[in-house]
Amino acid sequence: MTYETPVAAAPSSAVASAPRSDGGGVALGRRRGTVATVIMAVLALVWLFPLLWALVNSFREYDYTQANGYLSFGGWTFSNYEEAWTRANFGLHMKNSFLVTVPAVLLTLWLSSMVAFVLARFSYRFNLTLLGVFLAANLLPPQALLIPVFRMFREIPLPYFMSDSGSMLNSFWALILVNTAFQMGFCTFVLSNYMKTLPYEIYESAQLDGASVWRQYWQLTMPLVRPALAALATLEVTWIYNEFFWATVLIQQGDKLPVTSALNNLRGQFFTDTNLVAAGSIIVALPVLVVFFALQKQFVAGLTLGSTKG
Amino acid sequence: MSRPRPSGALGGTSVPRSALATRAATRRTILRGAALSGLAVGGASLLAACGGDSGGGSGSGSGTVKFGINEAEGVGAAHDRLAAIAKAYQKESGTTVELNAVDHNTFQESINTYLQGTPDDVFTWFAGFRMSQFAENGLITDLSDIWPIDGLNDSFKQASTAADGKQYFVPISYYPWAVFYRKSVFEKNGWEAPTTNDDFMALMDDMQGKGITPFAFGDKDGWPAMGTFDILNMRLNGFDFHMSLMAGDEAWDGDEVKLVFDTWRKLLPYHQADPLGRTWQEAATSMGKGDCGMYLLGTFVVDALGENGEDLDFFTFPELDSSIGSDALDAPIDGFCVAAAGKNQEGGKAMAKWLGSAAAADAGNNAADAPFIAANEGASTSTYSDLQKKSAEVVGAAANIAQFMDRDTNADFASTVMIPSIQEFLKNPDDIDGVTSSIQEQAASIFG
Repeated sequence: MTYETPVAAAPSSAVASAPRSDGGGVALGRRRGTVATVIMAVLALVWLFPLLWALVNSFREYDYTQANGYLSFGGWTFSNYEEAWTRANFGLHMKNSFLVTVPAVLLTLWLSSMVAFVLARFSYRFNLTLLGVFLAANLLPPQALLIPVFRMFREIPLPYFMSDSGSMLNSFWALILVNTAFQMGFCTFVLSNYMKTLPYEIYESAQLDGASVWRQYWQLTMPLVRPALAALATLEVTWIYNEFFWATVLIQQGDKLPVTSALNNLRGQFFTDTNLVAAGSIIVALPVLVVFFALQKQFVAGLTLGSTKG
Repeated sequence: MSRPRPSGALGGTSVPRSALATRAATRRTILRGAALSGLAVGGASLLAACGGDSGGGSGSGSGTVKFGINEAEGVGAAHDRLAAIAKAYQKESGTTVELNAVDHNTFQESINTYLQGTPDDVFTWFAGFRMSQFAENGLITDLSDIWPIDGLNDSFKQASTAADGKQYFVPISYYPWAVFYRKSVFEKNGWEAPTTNDDFMALMDDMQGKGITPFAFGDKDGWPAMGTFDILNMRLNGFDFHMSLMAGDEAWDGDEVKLVFDTWRKLLPYHQADPLGRTWQEAATSMGKGDCGMYLLGTFVVDALGENGEDLDFFTFPELDSSIGSDALDAPIDGFCVAAAGKNQEGGKAMAKWLGSAAAADAGNNAADAPFIAANEGASTSTYSDLQKKSAEVVGAAANIAQFMDRDTNADFASTVMIPSIQEFLKNPDDIDGVTSSIQEQAASIFG
């Protein structure tokens, strides 16, 4: 392709001159590109607007917005953040979320990597069935299991040093187990698909060298699936941290609620300071955003992981 | 992520894949691997210590009462009062009170799993049908042996009584629903609180003539308009009809209910338009700013105005039918129940009895910057604002007190049938037959 404008010219002039100088195909591509960009920009704006709106209003005083309407401009303050942090006791609830999320993610990855390893590396008659069961469990809405799980957990006794209610209810154990159970299906599916892409020859040589099954799992497979584990860990941290439903059902003690449920602390019986709730929501969303931006590469990889090889 | 790392050499990507399998690993690295893998589980068991530390094995030991309250720490006076009451009881009786504070809405929405799971011994709840439902299902403890309680009169005892004639509830406070207005706005225009229907209509016409919308109105949240239905029904059909309608014993598509909706339809032009897009807080603001003359709401209207309420006054909704009068109103009562699944029944009952006393009310009111209106007549009123003094007077003078629709009737009926039905009516006020017959159909299936 030959350009009349020098390649070294400023990008803006290159863009301006390109449709004129290039063949029809490129011009069409460019027009298409513009249309696609505009559509994407509009969609992104539609998605981002509520978030940005909340962000803007979280910096404004309730009295000001109530008196002048939300379309006004002014009443800027940082106090919503300070007040949200102290009022909702986010320090405690962040700790709770952490105590649930970290073990649940570790447990999920550990257990599902073991299942996935067996499913991917050994051919039993039940392999497909087992994978099907894991997938089916993934499709089941958690709400459908609310009552059975609640009753089951109520009946399972725990010693008092593990749970001060004497049962699974009102303990972090319940949340860790429930989250692990519900996330295992997806992780197993992704990991087993990923493990199937590993060349079989490695395992043959490993076997020839006398590596046990455990060693094949731990020292051979695990290092090779590290990218998959990293991607899944990112996804799972966000999902489990964002989990709201089970926490409100299984935890009835205010000081044990994770941070997502504790956001409700900012609402009064009748009166709700919406600007304060906006500030609280931003605080709660921050860890997820940090995880997302820090591990963006894994996050995107995780979405397509295992999709190319069945 | 503190994912267990396999031994460093094997994890390095520089090692060729084919070499990985043949690479000899020492026994030590395998052990390390196993130990690290075990960490995932072991780490979880460390949690036990963290998970259980708040309660510290207190269990069901005598001398400890668990007290569940429906106000989260930090919401202000509502929580501070309850916390102060708990502290006062602990001091007076020597019983350890363990406080479990959950925010109001979460507490209310998960009350069923709460009571069937591991409830606290004593918990905050509402008088009326919703207490009665739990009594029927055996979820709360019969408190008839701690009644009568000094200073709580018969109407409170009535409100604490379930369908089986026994008491299951101890009231502590209440707040009335009435028509609120700005004193300054009324003074400026020379208006007075109306007592008769004619005065009322004349007042609203005068307001409209001066470009002020008579009633602020918002029903985006769903429940505020229930207050309007309640008061119209009580004014047009009387308290007894209202209560049996709420209990599911009257027809919703009968002439009485149609009359209520029809009257409401005629009053709607005096209300702010498009109420479904407005929260009660926004409606309250427009009353506060003087765009609207009056607002039918509970005393919590003060919260939305960001002021102390000195420029606010209220009157009870005037009579619409002189044969029925205007001596009934909504005044929801808050109080306490003892959970049947609570571990310390005796301790819970003893605390519940004390919670009904004047001392409990005083302990709460003295500790918070905004008092509630105590149910107990012996409680001190010295901390009350003018609004509260008047509230106590008005409620004391009322012959009949309802608890508000969502407390007087089946909770499912109130939220899944009445909220959408009233909103439907407000959207399309002319189809009264359609709305009432749809309510009746659903009421028949819920009340059986």
